[in-house]
Amino acid sequence: MDVLDQLVTQVQALSGSDQDVAHLYTVLKQADELLHSHATRLGYCLTALNPVKHSLGYLYLLEAHTAGSMSREQSETFLGLASTFLNSCAPEQIRLAADKFNNICRRLKEQAMHLHDPMRAILPLQAAIRKLQPSSEFLTAIHADFLQMCLLSKCYKASLSVLEDDIFEIDQKRTALVPRDFLLYCYYGGMVYIGLKKFSKALEFFQHAITAPTTSLNAITIAAFRKYVLVSLIQNGQVPPFPKYTPAVVLRNLKSCVQDYLDLANLYATRNIADVKRCITTHEDVFKSDNNLGLAKQVIASLYKRNIQRLTQTYLTLSLQDIADTVQLDGQKEAELHILQMIKDGDIFAAINQKDGMVSFQEDPEQYNTCEMTQRLNNEIHHIVRLAKKLTWVDEQVSCDHAYLSKIGRDRPRYEPEDFELVPQKMYTNL
Amino acid sequence: MAIPVDGSAAGPSTSGFTALLDAIRARHFAQLADILDTSELEIAASGASKPQDWPYAVHVLAHVVNHDLNSARFVWKRTPVSVKESSPELVAAWKIVQNMWTHDHAGVYKALKGFDWTELVQPITGAIGDNYSTSMLRLLSTAYSTVSVADASGFLGLSENETVTFLTQQHGWVLDPASQMLTVRPMSTVSNKKTDSSQLQNLTEYVFHLEH
Repeated sequence: MDVLDQLVTQVQALSGSDQDVAHLYTVLKQADELLHSHATRLGYCLTALNPVKHSLGYLYLLEAHTAGSMSREQSETFLGLASTFLNSCAPEQIRLAADKFNNICRRLKEQAMHLHDPMRAILPLQAAIRKLQPSSEFLTAIHADFLQMCLLSKCYKASLSVLEDDIFEIDQKRTALVPRDFLLYCYYGGMVYIGLKKFSKALEFFQHAITAPTTSLNAITIAAFRKYVLVSLIQNGQVPPFPKYTPAVVLRNLKSCVQDYLDLANLYATRNIADVKRCITTHEDVFKSDNNLGLAKQVIASLYKRNIQRLTQTYLTLSLQDIADTVQLDGQKEAELHILQMIKDGDIFAAINQKDGMVSFQEDPEQYNTCEMTQRLNNEIHHIVRLAKKLTWVDEQVSCDHAYLSKIGRDRPRYEPEDFELVPQKMYTNL
Repeated sequence: MAIPVDGSAAGPSTSGFTALLDAIRARHFAQLADILDTSELEIAASGASKPQDWPYAVHVLAHVVNHDLNSARFVWKRTPVSVKESSPELVAAWKIVQNMWTHDHAGVYKALKGFDWTELVQPITGAIGDNYSTSMLRLLSTAYSTVSVADASGFLGLSENETVTFLTQQHGWVLDPASQMLTVRPMSTVSNKKTDSSQLQNLTEYVFHLEH
């Protein structure tokens, strides 16, 4: 009996109980080299296996079978096999070999890109994430690839099913992910939220990429910081200082890599539209080659808005002409359109009097006494309560941790709780 | 744009199309976009390309009717150029999105009225028009204290005479004939302020949480 046939028989026999599968795992690990040396013959063996029942064996064989380069036809076949497998495999089996599972997913992504059809990988990868995750709180190596496919195929909304899960667990042993997977997840996640114009969420993701523990500066962090600067200006009008837990190497070197962006941020602080526009024109090539020109243009629009918003803090009524002059807009009509849009978006509260060409600014009419508002408040509180419980749990875990306890005797805590505020609120009191 | 009504056409999207027609007939526009988005991803995952009769215009407008211009924009962006060139209805639908994006109110109405929509699309464009004029009326009454008849008619997509009649008779606005300016009467919004007993239950839970 051929050695491969034997293996197939073993897979068929040992795919039942947990014990059997664990035993099969050791058998397959030993046979991995053998499988790779017979890669071409494995296509036939795969037909003898059932992806649902024999998931672990199927995974090993498929992985070995498709390790080499593929022709167009082969990659079509692979995409078909892999999609079916990722959709139907048994989670408890494939979790034993997370590294092999990740290989299949990465290959699926590469082949879909090779065929210029990234949309094809979206649903299979989404299924794969759910199979590999012990719960939706776990990050996997597949997350970043999934988001990348959503971005490339412009299916931004499709990514939310995964992106909106709060991630609490990064477990290298159980999901076989590397730091790069985490950084890319943050970077692509931020990009999705920029596309959807949810800038505060985007900032959150980029900040995770910037402050992730590291001993060397890397390209993903730099790219994330460039976008972080622009989105910060759009969303908050200024770039906040780095949080205290930012790695030293990032603190020291990051700023020198992104000087053009910091120049823009400094000019933005002067609130002079003409200067900001000039700066973006001079550095246009840089922004363009970083794929950030669109964002840079949104920075200009945000400065108009912010300057108008400042006026509401000083004046009760103001003529449209005065607003246009102060904010450097071309005439009354332009100022009216800007104000109208801001009223629509709820950025300011005002009434335009076209007869006299005046605008009167008002207070926020929200009384916080409607049912919708209570509902919103309730949801927020629920969210926070859940988070607080999670935090208590983690805190208990850490305080039982042996390594931590042996260290705590010697070191004093380095950080205060407020160092971990995502967006330090006190920064934004002066808009 | 032909849609297989009886489900006879082959292909993985057939069941999606039936659900689509049902949703349009029942005017459940909220589901439309999801049905199409999901169906699009399923077709892609199967390795097939979109069927010839994929309802591109409906797909764009389904997001518009849900007030999701961003997603409508991305549908347009992922549509192949050849399709854009050969489907005047899709181009007309995109024109609506563009005008909404640039806040060209009069342009939105022009784009809505300026095309002879197919039977399938008509209910959706109708709903978009209704939603749009309602939200514009709300915007007018919150953002303006006085507004010219010309501008108001642009916002509402009505002729100037219709605008004056509509606003003065149905909403109690006052026209100053000399300056052709309308004085706005703010809309009174009725909001529900009642609370029920579940609220008390929630509060109990919060206090419990804070004390433990």
